[in-house]
Amino acid sequence: MAIRAGSRPITAPGWTEHKPVGVGLVDCDVHHGVRSLNDLIPHMPQPYRQQAEEQGVRMAGSGYFNVAKDAHRTDLVSGADRPAQDRQLGTSYELLRDEHLDLWNVDYALLTGGSAYGASILPDPDFAAAICRAFNDWTMEQWAQRDQRLLVALAVSVSDPVQAVREIDRLGDHPQVKAIMLPTGSRMPYGNRLYHPIWEACERHGLVVGIHPGNEGAGMAGPPTGVGYPTYYIETRMARPQMAMAHAVSFIAEGVFERYPRLHVLFDECDQFWAIGLMWHMDADWKSLRDQTPWLKRLPSEYFRDHIRVGAQPFMEPENDSQLEAAMQALHADETLVFSSDWPHWDWDDPATTFHGLSERSARRIFAETACEMFGIEARPADAV
Amino acid sequence: MAISEAVRVVVGPVEDLPSGSRRLVVPFRGRAGIGVFNIGGRYFALRNLCPHKTGPLCTGKVTGRMVAVGPPSAGDAGMVMARDGEIIRCPWHLWEFEIASGRCLVDPQVRVKTYPVQVEQGEVVVYAREADLPEQPPDREPPPA
Repeated sequence: MAIRAGSRPITAPGWTEHKPVGVGLVDCDVHHGVRSLNDLIPHMPQPYRQQAEEQGVRMAGSGYFNVAKDAHRTDLVSGADRPAQDRQLGTSYELLRDEHLDLWNVDYALLTGGSAYGASILPDPDFAAAICRAFNDWTMEQWAQRDQRLLVALAVSVSDPVQAVREIDRLGDHPQVKAIMLPTGSRMPYGNRLYHPIWEACERHGLVVGIHPGNEGAGMAGPPTGVGYPTYYIETRMARPQMAMAHAVSFIAEGVFERYPRLHVLFDECDQFWAIGLMWHMDADWKSLRDQTPWLKRLPSEYFRDHIRVGAQPFMEPENDSQLEAAMQALHADETLVFSSDWPHWDWDDPATTFHGLSERSARRIFAETACEMFGIEARPADAV
Repeated sequence: MAISEAVRVVVGPVEDLPSGSRRLVVPFRGRAGIGVFNIGGRYFALRNLCPHKTGPLCTGKVTGRMVAVGPPSAGDAGMVMARDGEIIRCPWHLWEFEIASGRCLVDPQVRVKTYPVQVEQGEVVVYAREADLPEQPPDREPPPA
């Protein structure tokens, strides 16, 4: 493995300066959100505006801690001449621009939100759809139109597929809208046929189905693990692969990729190692159980490699480089792995130090090409140089 | 001649192997033996050793191949059992094999060994290799009852 961490020319303090040429870095997980859900009230229709003004914006939580807010990326805010409200990370476009997009020469960043993840598991599907519409309007107005590098993952509530499709049809052809974003926490695995109209709409508009940890165990969602509710936050983090696997197998087994052959599904922040074992084991089991899902024409791993993409954050940290190299090979990382930073969260991965020993080809695939193909954007826009 | 050196094995009279039935011949050349199948009047023989994990393939369920026209939305998967009686599934791990060709239907890289079978003087006979087949065409008619 010739290339070591940091040898790829990405601009950051201490790293080699480089002039961006073409698309070199696509970040598939950058969070943005409202400072308060009440900021969405002006974007909401009646009767929800009045309800929200009277009782606050309803959103279900699961009660697990994250890290302490005053320990969370203090490097981004402490000592900087920034207004106090910007210290709520992910709520300031200027902070994203200065401390991430410009700093690392990010060519495109997918805004994956967060504020409205919980809509999909709220009991009231009409309110859920309304808050998604409000969040999307706010995103387009406050973020997307200010920077062409920002790609938008629409907030969509799956609890009413008809309204989800309506929202995808409303905004899905905007040139910066490239995905929808759903939480891992769900009422049922996402391959279920009740959701197929949503996937049909995504395919029709060329949108990626993004899935990100969120709201597991909250609202109407099932518990975060198959064995019930864990006690501590670290347990919920270790449960993410379980949820990603359940959704991924569901998409494959239910024939979603046979029915919608141009659809892509992106798992952000759910780890990567599970994908290796899943491909191995699902292929092996499919050879025994093929007759139960005979609409599958190919090995499950082939559907995975063609249709499912795995965000690189939090990246595998095995015991040594040879283990990592083997894992990348088994993952078919040049096809399935896309760079994602999870900016601005404490557990983020920067593009320079995270990857050890990538070949030039792998770096190109993981940092840009695979994501460009998934989002249907040109790898080298004319105005890039 | 010791059975382990046999190149020609008489399975039995055709009456004992009617359509839809099978016979296991063990041991055969010191290996796992073979399964002889009658599918609609045609005879086939497979090594009784699954190429996946050496399971006793020919003791498995003889069935068909489940097919569908598409994924199951609104009940329109159109699942049907095709070619019933032409497929065998190994009892270990249930891999599907086409009896006529030995072809594995869930892994194109895999094939189970097949043997020539024919009727000679009213008896079903299996040969270890194509080269062992007699030069003269055998009497394919069963003897008069």
